Parts: sequence; structure tokens; C-alpha cells
Amino acid sequence: MRNRALIIAGLVVVFFVGAIWGVHRGPVPLPKIPEASGHCVLPTAEIRRDHRMLLRAVREEMVRHKTGNPADRLTNCISCHVQKNAAGKFIPVNAHGQFCQACHVYAGVKPDCFVCHAAVPEKPFAKGSFVNGGAVPTAFPVPSTLSHSMRVPVGDHP
Amino acid sequence: MTDQHTPPTVDEPPRQDSEIDPTRRRLLAMAGGVVALSLAPGVSVLARTLAGGKGTGRAQPIRYGLLIDATKCTGKCDACVNACVRYNGLSTDRGPDYSQWIRKVTVTDPKTGSVSRFPVMCQHCAEPACVEVCPTGASFKRSDGIVLVDKHRCIGCRYCMMACPYKARSFVARNLTDQKPWSPRGRGSVEACTLCVERVDKGQIPACVEACGSQGKKAMLFGNLHDPKSEIAKRLAQYPTTTIRADLGMAPGVHYRGI
Repeated sequence: MRNRALIIAGLVVVFFVGAIWGVHRGPVPLPKIPEASGHCVLPTAEIRRDHRMLLRAVREEMVRHKTGNPADRLTNCISCHVQKNAAGKFIPVNAHGQFCQACHVYAGVKPDCFVCHAAVPEKPFAKGSFVNGGAVPTAFPVPSTLSHSMRVPVGDHP
Repeated sequence: MTDQHTPPTVDEPPRQDSEIDPTRRRLLAMAGGVVALSLAPGVSVLARTLAGGKGTGRAQPIRYGLLIDATKCTGKCDACVNACVRYNGLSTDRGPDYSQWIRKVTVTDPKTGSVSRFPVMCQHCAEPACVEVCPTGASFKRSDGIVLVDKHRCIGCRYCMMACPYKARSFVARNLTDQKPWSPRGRGSVEACTLCVERVDKGQIPACVEACGSQGKKAMLFGNLHDPKSEIAKRLAQYPTTTIRADLGMAPGVHYRGI
């Protein structure tokens, strides 16, 4: 270990270069989430945390027991959150930068819903057609954490 | 021995209800309260069950089934198969990857030479073998008698395909794209005729039955077998029908006439 000093010096240099690079680069930017065309079944903070449980519960209920609130179905989420490209065609919600994918890439999660489920709706979400168990929810307050910088207007997407 | 009985003495009058020991009374009251409290949730659940809330799917004795009239079905018509492929987004390429939910078969009686043609799909049995053998509970029968694969639970072991005597199920071995939103299907799970549950739940009839009525020979009828007022139950009572491999005792929900 004659090169001990050299190795330690090298590690220190690598550490500092990495740290400076990290600070310079800043934190990983928050995902830009395309805006939905309707109102969610839950307040944003809750759906963000609990959508897995909600989807898991509703898939069990709808598929096996014919119960559950149809408003909670994945197909509803898709038809409300899907975007159109310049040509007016639906972009799959699991495409790069789209509603599902944007957050899941940020969180490092790989959902397998779209192995089977269609990532585009049959028809566009019709405003006013949404029924949440009979009660149409009014606008939910958007938490301050969801600033406008995180939202991109509906428009062209690659 | 009877003469040795002594009448109750004056200082020990017979006990009356009002003279229960106060401690004992409290204890009894508490016990009663505990019993009532422990029964209350059960009673409320029972009340909900008896009320038969919307969507519980258990109160109504529904059993969906089909009646297929092989005397009307002809060899050249493929309307039911095409409608199924179109509605559920199945591959039109009949290669090795073809998912076969419904197929037309031709059977010939070797003794008489009489030929009959009819479609065969999942028979939606009352005692389905596929459900018996499924190791994960993915194969299941809905309360209305429709036998389905819960693809969230299916691990693709294909035991059900082996167990089904009707060869009704198929396995998806490759990645799929462009699935229909109402018919999720994908690689690694088994699938079969769903009796178009999405349509049935909306009060419509399966796509094959609709196509047979509009483009075919009106040989297929869908309905609730348990409702004596339904058209299908009336017809089943009207003339003799049979089920395929009735000897297996799985009580299929698909009935055939003229085979």
C-alpha cells in the first residue's frame, strides 16, 4: 500500500467533484404533470398517496364482485388525464412525460397496468359526464406544493 | 322418603325475583350489555345483507347463459366469431398466437352421417373445472354465473387450460398492443370468453349474440336461465336441449339444440 496517500487523495477529489457537480446541478426537477380535464375522485394530496390502494380495491370489487364505485376505475383516470397531440390523437398515458409516466419515472416506479390495460381511452372525457357515486365533486383546493411550475398546459407532446 | 321432606322454615322464605342479590343483578345487566354490544355489528351486517343493497350481486338468483340453436346455424356463417374478435380486440391472424374465445365446429354423426355446425366458447359452467384447479384464485365464477379470469391474479400456469374439456381458454404468450379499453388482456395470463361482461353489466347482450341476430341466422339467445319469464328459460322449457359433455357434471350455462 505504498500508494495509500494517492488513493485517499483520489477519493477526496472524486467526492468533492461529485459534491460540487451535485450542488451545481441542483435537485432532480419535479415532474411536469399534464393537467386533467375533470375533477378527481379524491383531493390531490390523497389521490397522490393512495391511488394504488384505491385502484387495487376497485379492481377487486369491480372484477370479482360487481361492487365498488365505477368512478374509481382506471379507465376513468385515463379518459380524464389523457392528452392529445397536435394531430388530435390520444397520447398513451404511459408515454414519456405523460400523466402516469411523468411521476413514476420521478419516483422510480414501474407500474404494470398497461401490459393489459389500454393506455388511451375509447373516447374523450366528456365534461359533466363524470359521476362520483351520484355526487359530482366541486373543485378541490390545489395544495400549494402543486405550483404552476409543475403543470404544463394541454398542448403538443412528443 | 317423602315423609322426610320438611316444609320451608319461616326464617327462609322462598326467593322471589325481586330479591336477586344486587351484585348478581349488576353482573347480569353487564353480561346482557356485553352480549348486546357484541351482537350489534352482526345484526347490522345481517340487516344490510337482507336489505340486498345495490350491487351486492348476491340477492338476485341470476345465472346468465346461452341457448344455441344448431338447427339454424350454418357452416358458412362466421358472424359470431368475427364479432367477438372485433369487439374484444383479438388478433385476426389465425396463427399460433391466435386467442380463441369462440370457434365454429362441425360435428358429424359417424353412424348416420348427419352434420351439425355450431359455435363453442367458454361454457360458463356452474361447477367449472378451471376454477377448481386454479392455484391462485384467478379463475372464478361471478355471482351471476359468468366464469372469468382475474388477470390481476393469474400467473399463467395454464392449469385451467388443461382442465377445461371445452378447450375454451387461450394463453397470451407475446406482448400485446392496442387492447380495447373494455377488454384488458396481456402477456402472461390466460383468457377466455367473458360473455362480454362489460356489455352485460350495462344491460346489453354479448357481441356474438348480437351479431348472430343481425348478420347471422338468429341461432343464439342470451339470458338469465334462472328467470322463468326470460325468453331463454321459456325456450329451454319448450323443446329438448343438451349441453356438451353433460356427463362431466359441470353443468354448463351454454345449451344447444339439435346436436
